[in-house]
Amino acid sequence: MQASAEIFFEHERWGRNLAWSAGLHVAVVGAIILYAAFASGGRGQGWGSGGGGEAMGVTLVTTVPLPAPQTQTQNVLANESKGVSQSKPKPEVTEPEAIPIPEKNAKKKPKHETSASKRKPEPEPVEEANNVVPFGQGGPVSGPYGTFSAGGAKGGFGFTGGGGDFGTRFGWYVDTVRRKVSDNWLKYEIDPRIGEARRVYLVFDITRDGHPSHIEVEQSSGVPSLDQSAVRALQRIDTFGPLPSDYSGNKVSVEFWFDYKR
Amino acid sequence: MKRFFYGLFPLLLLTSAFGQDWIRTGTGLGVEKVRIAVPDFKAASQDPKNTELLKAFNDTLWNDLDNAGIFDLVSKSFYPLGPVGAPTDVKFDTWSSPPPNAAMLAFGNLGVSGNSMSVQGWLYDVKNVTSPQVLGKQYSDAATTEAARITAHKFADEIIFRLGGGIPGIAESKIYFVSTRTGHKEIWAMDYDGANQHALTHLGSISLSPRVSPDGSRVAFSSLTKSGWEILMYSLELDRLVTFPRFGGTNLSPAWSPDGTRIAFSSSRSGDPEIYVVDASGTNPKRITSFKGPDVSPTWNRKTGAQISWVSGRTGLPQIDIMEADGTNAQQVTDQGYAVSPSWSPNGQFLVFSWIRHYGPGAPGAQDIYLMDIASKQWVQLTHDGGRNDFPYWSPDNRHIIFQSSRSGGMQIWTMLADGTNQKALTTSGSNTQPNWSWK
Repeated sequence: MQASAEIFFEHERWGRNLAWSAGLHVAVVGAIILYAAFASGGRGQGWGSGGGGEAMGVTLVTTVPLPAPQTQTQNVLANESKGVSQSKPKPEVTEPEAIPIPEKNAKKKPKHETSASKRKPEPEPVEEANNVVPFGQGGPVSGPYGTFSAGGAKGGFGFTGGGGDFGTRFGWYVDTVRRKVSDNWLKYEIDPRIGEARRVYLVFDITRDGHPSHIEVEQSSGVPSLDQSAVRALQRIDTFGPLPSDYSGNKVSVEFWFDYKR
Repeated sequence: MKRFFYGLFPLLLLTSAFGQDWIRTGTGLGVEKVRIAVPDFKAASQDPKNTELLKAFNDTLWNDLDNAGIFDLVSKSFYPLGPVGAPTDVKFDTWSSPPPNAAMLAFGNLGVSGNSMSVQGWLYDVKNVTSPQVLGKQYSDAATTEAARITAHKFADEIIFRLGGGIPGIAESKIYFVSTRTGHKEIWAMDYDGANQHALTHLGSISLSPRVSPDGSRVAFSSLTKSGWEILMYSLELDRLVTFPRFGGTNLSPAWSPDGTRIAFSSSRSGDPEIYVVDASGTNPKRITSFKGPDVSPTWNRKTGAQISWVSGRTGLPQIDIMEADGTNAQQVTDQGYAVSPSWSPNGQFLVFSWIRHYGPGAPGAQDIYLMDIASKQWVQLTHDGGRNDFPYWSPDNRHIIFQSSRSGGMQIWTMLADGTNQKALTTSGSNTQPNWSWK
């Protein structure tokens, strides 16, 4: 009996220890929570106070202005067909018809120049769909022209220089220029509110060592940020590579246009 | 309706969690490349050595053009029959029309007579029948496999220079790195394609972060010496260490300015690791940072030499910062996770660095290579394939990035195009880390 009384007595003492233990645990947990709530804030201030710089916001992007993905576009005019629309002139026009060469001034719509005096009254032309190529404006592209497109935006250019045959003789160089300009055109520089803009024309020279110089906006798009992005694409380029050694001129002039559509 | 939303919510969380790290679109994938056909060069002599040299030449030329990142090489199975060894052998329409549909054709011949080898190579614009020749070159060298490889590198670089918009090719460039193959961490060198790997230093200590000078004459690195971590200088011309001042404290991660006149490094001589700039001879040290917390791993703006990017611990975990080369105008460009090892691109536009974006307990903690456009602070992730990826470094042509990765088990050196594609291991044996690409 004595033994069981001992056990009961010890059990009671152990119970008090359990209460102490539970109380201490609660206190430790409470201390940790308090430390996390207050102490970390204080430490953050102390660590950050040494910095004099300023943090910049960083955003996740799906595109970075590396060489932009691009595909060769099919120029609507670059086919063998002369055009299928009803705007074909009557054979009565005796004057030889000049097919305008879409060179430097391709931005102006070439017009048929037939003398009005010899023209006979014609039947009213049939209303054309917008994408029909008028007669005479089809056929292979004449001249050193090319286009590119990159993510909805497009560009193109013409070369002049030497005997005017630079583009036909050194097509590989023209391709290099096209690739390099389109790679360096960063479309995020354009005002994001702009959905579509008129074509901007740049002119520049390529010197013998391949450096672009005299970069000028020949015709503005009316959107300053688009004009600026086009100029900066050129300014970003140090060299296109030296002009071909077979080429005798000191420079070539390039007209480069940028079409922008978001 | 409410129940529907409760059902949808975890789904949204899941998609956003998985959708964020995997961005493979639009990072310059599918850049329009020049379609080039490279038929094997023709043997110009019957010398028994010819076959072996020809194979070395053809393999090297193909690999160089394939690695360049600007070509789409036409598969050899599409080529018309018959060797092309000289301009008279070229039938333009068979190359320019499908199936090869090539824009360019690189061809030529290789002949051996006695101990000398001569190579003739041409590059033709096959769509331009009237004046097709873009390039015509003739080389002569000793009749060895190594010389055949070098000649192929030279011809490849000529082609890349012409068609890549005046940027010199990298086929003759070198890579310096740290390898444990001799039992100690020593400085090693190799060709850009992983060939010809050899040790430079035999110090029997620990040597880290080699950085070759812009003129390619010297390699600066940090090494554990009797007086602690110091910057050492190895002359590639003399093939031995040359004297460089000791600064005391722990001196790490040297970086050459692009004009080769100055070296930036981190030194703890004043207590905290800070960035110092010294002349190339080690004289005239100037301290340019004074922030609380460590400042390490400087890298110069390689185009202008006017700015330095480095790793700063002043806000806690290491982050990438940029400042002027005199220490003014410090600006943090990353603001989360754990970002280290910046490298500035040769055109000055991009930083590439190693980043653990979600750092800390319970975070995924993947360490990957990221590229940031400095002007816009936009960034894109370049590696996704697991392992720890660190120490990225730009190639001189601005088109490639070299880095170390543990994805294949041990630490090895990998290369990729700057858009993250075409990743390949260059080393396989031992542990190889901290790669550095020569400036040309």
